Amino acid sequence: MARIRFQSVTKRYASGAAAVSDLNLDIRDQEFLVLLGPSGCGKSTTLNMIAGLEEISEGALLFDDQVMNNVPAHRRDVAMVFQSYALYPHKSVFENIAFGLRMRKVAEAELRRRVNEAAEKLEITHLLDRRPSQLSGGQRQRVALGRAMVREPAVFLMDEPLSNLDASLRISMRAQIRHLHAQMRSTFVYVTHDQAEALTLADRIVVMRDGAIQQIGTPDDIYERPANLFVASFLGSPTINLLEGTLVSESGVMCFRRGGLSISLPSHSVMAWGGAVVLGLRPEDVGPEMSGGAVLQGVVDTAMPSGADQYLGVMVEGVMIFLRVAKDIRVREGEPIAFGLNPSRLHLFDRATGRSLLVPA
Amino acid sequence: MALRVLTHDERAASGLLAGLVAVLMAVTAFPILYSLWISLFAVNLRRPNRMPFVGLDNYANVLASPQFWESVGRTAIFSAMSVGAVLLVATLVAVLLDQDFPGRRVLSACLLIPWAIPSVANGLMWKWIYDSNYGALNGLLLQLGFISSAMIWLGDADRTLGLIANAFIWKEVPLAAILLLVTLKSIPADLYGAAAVDGAPAWHRFVHVTFPALRPGFLLVALYEAMMAVRHFDLFFLLTEGGPGGASDVVAWRIYVETFRNLSFGTGAAMSYILAIATLLMSYALIRSMARQL
Amino acid sequence: MIIPRPIGPRLWRGVGLAAAACLLLVYVLAPVAWLLSSSLQTEREIVSIPPHWIPDHPTLQNFRAIFATGLGLAPAPPGADPSGAGFVPSVAGNLLPAMGNSFIVAVAVVILNLLIGVPAAYAIAKIRFRGRSVALYAILATRVIPDIALVVPFFLVVRKLGLLDSLVSLIVTYLAITVPFSVFVLASFFEQMPDDLDRAARVDGCSRLQVLLRVYLPLARPALVAVGLFAFLASWNEFLLALMFTQTSASQTLPIIVAGITSDFTVSFSFLNAAGVLAVVPPVLLAVIFERYIVSGLTAGAVKG
Repeated sequence: MARIRFQSVTKRYASGAAAVSDLNLDIRDQEFLVLLGPSGCGKSTTLNMIAGLEEISEGALLFDDQVMNNVPAHRRDVAMVFQSYALYPHKSVFENIAFGLRMRKVAEAELRRRVNEAAEKLEITHLLDRRPSQLSGGQRQRVALGRAMVREPAVFLMDEPLSNLDASLRISMRAQIRHLHAQMRSTFVYVTHDQAEALTLADRIVVMRDGAIQQIGTPDDIYERPANLFVASFLGSPTINLLEGTLVSESGVMCFRRGGLSISLPSHSVMAWGGAVVLGLRPEDVGPEMSGGAVLQGVVDTAMPSGADQYLGVMVEGVMIFLRVAKDIRVREGEPIAFGLNPSRLHLFDRATGRSLLVPA
Repeated sequence: MALRVLTHDERAASGLLAGLVAVLMAVTAFPILYSLWISLFAVNLRRPNRMPFVGLDNYANVLASPQFWESVGRTAIFSAMSVGAVLLVATLVAVLLDQDFPGRRVLSACLLIPWAIPSVANGLMWKWIYDSNYGALNGLLLQLGFISSAMIWLGDADRTLGLIANAFIWKEVPLAAILLLVTLKSIPADLYGAAAVDGAPAWHRFVHVTFPALRPGFLLVALYEAMMAVRHFDLFFLLTEGGPGGASDVVAWRIYVETFRNLSFGTGAAMSYILAIATLLMSYALIRSMARQL
Repeated sequence: MIIPRPIGPRLWRGVGLAAAACLLLVYVLAPVAWLLSSSLQTEREIVSIPPHWIPDHPTLQNFRAIFATGLGLAPAPPGADPSGAGFVPSVAGNLLPAMGNSFIVAVAVVILNLLIGVPAAYAIAKIRFRGRSVALYAILATRVIPDIALVVPFFLVVRKLGLLDSLVSLIVTYLAITVPFSVFVLASFFEQMPDDLDRAARVDGCSRLQVLLRVYLPLARPALVAVGLFAFLASWNEFLLALMFTQTSASQTLPIIVAGITSDFTVSFSFLNAAGVLAVVPPVLLAVIFERYIVSGLTAGAVKG
């Protein structure tokens, strides 16, 4: 049981540079929270502060109602899985998993029961006598998970735990981690730079950049209603199409203008208007079969088959726009193409601040 | 600076470092400061009750003494010979050990023998080799016909420094070779590959690839060996005691004589300080580069 | 074969390597071999001209004398029969006790080095604390101070504490001389170990000290062996400080006795060499047996420090 709260937390390094500044975050008990962002955004620092591996320069960190700032890592009810797995090379798999319990003086019988149970769940019972050096990457990863699991901690931390695995293993491990969360009564905090991981695992996602939170929300919130340009372009693959233009009012209707292009917007959705804006179109929200809104004209520049569907790169008003379309649409490079868009799924940002101009749902 | 509560890490670090700090304070920092203090007095154990403060007079006297500067000159000659020869021989040894041949491991194990030998035993061994009556050097050269009568090697003022340096070099080459070998091993193989494709002969490869790549190793070894040579005492004590006629009277020997034979501790401390500061300055670059690596 | 085959460059290379290797082996071993050979000769044989490179009548009489008098099995006769066998100088009986002193000092220095050096090295390598770089510089600076510069203050302090002519004075000063290097070698070893191991152990419930004892120490065995060997050899071989601090056989170490024999004109040449062999054998054995550890330790410590 643990609710984790950051109250105006700042982490400064000896050099004076701030890794995290004025962080306010309330992590609910037993939720699965993912910290998402590019490297150097402060997500790992945030995780390390929860673990007690990095000291807090300013502000307060609370578990439930207890201030944790000065509680050292080994006295926190926290377990952690590392990207490098960090297994103890001189200990057997069994002893690796049991180590945290031994340090907490758990009775031998109970310890054996818990280690064996975890090993069974992770299907590594046959590996218990081996050394970490004799294991494959995937097996090591399971041992690292097991080591954290047996602790049955109040807070379960994971720092890019899947980054060193190959693609197929990564997908199957996601399901397993989701499953683990459902079984355990722990608060999960998971750090990743992989948006797909974040979207599949999280109850809530915190997007970070340069030591500051950009947006907190459910995966749907984050993907459908990005709060700013950074969040919009960090999630989605291929990335969201961005067109710079101006917002004008044409006989009472809100319009996005760029050169000869004019797209009318549902006026009730826009918070403010005027001046320079950026229009965001996700590749799946534009296509020949979409009828609503303005029809866009362009020339097909590239067509890239991608298994189930294909991506088209289309030059519109001097900008390359990517479309995700069905595979059976036959187009040739150099041909003109017309396509529509879904007006309810447009994104609009202030060009100066990057903030979303849409009314929050 | 305001006092503040130590963080957990700082508390842990100070606990773990306490032993080291205590030892270095008590047995290094304190004696050094104490000797700085002594160097300002005319301390002579022959007159233990009189210890007048003389300020920097000890330093002035030392620096004004022609005998001191002559010993500095001998130290410089000894160090230059030693460092140069160690570098040369160690480079050859390192290049040899960098090759792959049967028995290489045995050879590198044997190489550690001179390094491990106590310097006193080294002195004894070379003194016996140089012995004017029954020594191996005379015996060998006589047998080979290079000399017609036995030489009094260590009694020859022109040869003394060189002969002591030879003993010093013999003991120092292994460490230098090991250090250079590490540098050699760190040369990326594709550098050699490129040179081989160019069809360069072996010596060409050495001059253009190996030698430049060895430069950081040379610097390290040269500085380290210079430090060792400048302070070296044991062989001078064992082989010649500064003789004949002062021919091997180097700074380290001078400090010993001033302190423990003339019992003028103030002068000895002042000389020690001058030597310490000189080596510190000399090795400043070395310390910097070492600290950067950690 | 009548037609000589052209000698390939490979063969030339092999011949060159073999010649160079032999040359090096001779350079390294010849002086030691001469020491050993001389120690096995009788007094009559050792003064022959030209020298006998290999003794005609190898004898262990010197070593027998050293052990017999050292163990108190035979009294040290003051110079009987200086012309032939059976000449045992009076200092012979001091060699084994001095070896014992050397051993006690070296072992104590090794233990203290590890006790003090390991925690300090761990703190420097794995804890980011303010003053870390100051500590590092201080440790490095102590390494470049010539030991002869420490002799005067060491002597005065030791004398003031009444520790002259005691093993304690040697142990403490040798510790001060060796521990900076030990810390450096160990710190660069710990530095190479992944930080995540330290972090994982702390999350698993280890205090800093427990991380060191339960995770790093078991992994650091090669570095511990290397550091222990360096401390042992440095203590075993040290001469200058022992020369200053020791006065009687209560504290004199092997190098002091050997140096005394070297300048003693009444001691026979073969006995002199036997004393030398006695001082050489323990460190050389250690070095050759643990060559791998020593080389890796030297590279860690000396390339970095």
